[in-house]
Amino acid sequence: MGLFDLTDLVVQRGLEGASLRQQILSNNLANANTAGFKRSDVDFQSTLASAIGSGDPAQAIANVAFQPQTDSSTTMTADGNNVDTDTEMSNLTSNALEYETLAAVEQQRFSMLKTAMGS
Amino acid sequence: MGELFGALGISASGMTAERLRMDVTSGNLANADSTKGANGLPYQRQEVVLQAGGQSFSDVLGNAQAGVQVAGIVNDTSPGKKVYDPGHPDADAQGYVTLPNVNTVTEMTDLITESRSYEADTQAMQTAKQLYLKTLDLLR
Repeated sequence: MGLFDLTDLVVQRGLEGASLRQQILSNNLANANTAGFKRSDVDFQSTLASAIGSGDPAQAIANVAFQPQTDSSTTMTADGNNVDTDTEMSNLTSNALEYETLAAVEQQRFSMLKTAMGS
Repeated sequence: MGELFGALGISASGMTAERLRMDVTSGNLANADSTKGANGLPYQRQEVVLQAGGQSFSDVLGNAQAGVQVAGIVNDTSPGKKVYDPGHPDADAQGYVTLPNVNTVTEMTDLITESRSYEADTQAMQTAKQLYLKTLDLLR
């Protein structure tokens, strides 16, 4: 075990997943008025959860790849678009809170490392 | 980290697109009564066609989303309303004047949609900035 343990790895990949989701949700919002556009989303939590539950979590987490999914099944407007601005905004807020929580946990773990290093 | 900077660019592309739509809608409203354009015909309302951002090389590499881009500005060719006004300089032989096919109510609702979408994009950009600053806090 190096300087960073499994929890650190999970938190770091979680931050990566949350920033990817921020990008995907921003893209949905930017295309709220594009005819025929279908929204995408990424379920990085499930991907990470199954990596943690696998036989070799450290390896699985290191190799984890988040796959954005496009939702083509629904339609919101006459032009075939299915972006609901309100839903996207609430997703964006909850994703930001999730990111901030993960960042706070990581900050706490960094300060523990600093304490252990005596600085 | 790259994803957060990408998010800023995506929101910016959305803001650019919505601002152009607002420009075009304002042009339609301003010309709601223009019975003669540069070509001598009544003004035709214009519409912006948007398309999801194309995939550049770096997008393909980073498996990234690419925002929105303007496919073009097209003329609405639906016929305009005709009013009987024989004294008007643009009246035809029967005394009818063809007005532009601009419906003020449609333009006003479009304007609201555009303004709300612009706000949503700025909010998304604000959130990305806030997350980026949180990440910087990790260094403290």
